[in-house]
Amino acid sequence: MSIQHHPTDDTLLRFAAGALNAGLTLVTEAHLHVCAQCRARLGEFEATGGALLDEQPPAALAPTAFADVLARLDGPAVAVRPPVPPANSDMPAVLAGCEIGRWWWLGRGIRYSQVRLPWAPEANVMLLRVAANRAVFPHTHAAHELTQILRGGYSDCTGTYGPGDMADADDTLLHQPWADAEGCLCLAALEGPMRLDGWLGRWQRRLGLY
Amino acid sequence: MALPGALLTPVESTAPLDAAAQARLIGLVALNQDRQAFALLFKHFAPRLKSFHLRAGLSDAAAEELAQETMILLWRKAARFDPACAGAATWVFTITRNLRTDHARRRIQAEVEALPEADPAASAEAIYMSGERAEMMRGALAALSTEQRRVIELSFFADTPHAAIATALHLPLGTVKSRIRLALARLRDALGAEP
Ligand SMILES: [Zn+2]
Repeated sequence: MSIQHHPTDDTLLRFAAGALNAGLTLVTEAHLHVCAQCRARLGEFEATGGALLDEQPPAALAPTAFADVLARLDGPAVAVRPPVPPANSDMPAVLAGCEIGRWWWLGRGIRYSQVRLPWAPEANVMLLRVAANRAVFPHTHAAHELTQILRGGYSDCTGTYGPGDMADADDTLLHQPWADAEGCLCLAALEGPMRLDGWLGRWQRRLGLY
Repeated sequence: MALPGALLTPVESTAPLDAAAQARLIGLVALNQDRQAFALLFKHFAPRLKSFHLRAGLSDAAAEELAQETMILLWRKAARFDPACAGAATWVFTITRNLRTDHARRRIQAEVEALPEADPAASAEAIYMSGERAEMMRGALAALSTEQRRVIELSFFADTPHAAIATALHLPLGTVKSRIRLALARLRDALGAEP
């Protein structure tokens, strides 16, 4: 399996800087999990952050800062919890700890499930399943939308997407994806909490999710 | 008998710690809970962490608290540092980034810490290499034009980098992404061009 479509540099830089919302962060992690090339690019961006940190002129700390930190060192250790595997075992590891909602029919071979992140309940993350050889109606996107292909694939005006590929789209994209012969399962997230515009927003409203 | 408190005061040193020394000291914290090594790391990183967060627009109190919390997590997570994967400053940067981002901070509490610990006795070669990489990155940053450097810094220091870059450089928002692309391409060139 060779990955053809990656998050943009802009997306990875925002990931490195901690400027992506929780949902976009999770979907980017799903891609990083399978893509060594993007892990290397991210490593460069994080190293840039490290170099900027290291170059900062030292700021004056509170006089008791070091003593205060020493006093807190022996507090509770960072919690170590056994990983909670996602309910469905062919879901990617990044979904560990997430709650996968029930599947809804969106009609015409498309099914949808809302993913809840306990650490970010406001995040708008979803799983989408498109049946084999089905087209999704033409649609535009939210300001920033990331879609990671977990299984199967689809084609649209921007190319052919397979397992491991990521579609990094903004609101300038209008497309009509066609699922391939295997169908398509993907994990997607939108910019902004509970955005109601775009095609998915309309469906979420129709389902009464928001 | 020396007073433990006296031993643990961060010693005055004139030069900042270089990357290899940082990596070695984190290794000592992981291996022996070495408080002397921690004191040196604190002396180097805590004032820079505070400076970093002040620069990103946090209040003095918030920046101070984040710097302290980052040092506490450095102590607790030292065994997870692997110099073969990232330089010491890069690792500290990722800790503080995650503490600063609300959703990431909440996730630390719920964190699924399934990652294996790094080998606590990191090889001298890995430490040396991580120092070399940090040196290359410093060179690459220095090779950027003032404007490109500004684009990169704002990407790390601003909550809404695109808007901040647009304002700082008087650019339409639509142009910002291409400026970021150019700055990153330049940074990558400089990284590749360095020996
Ligand atoms: Zn990739």
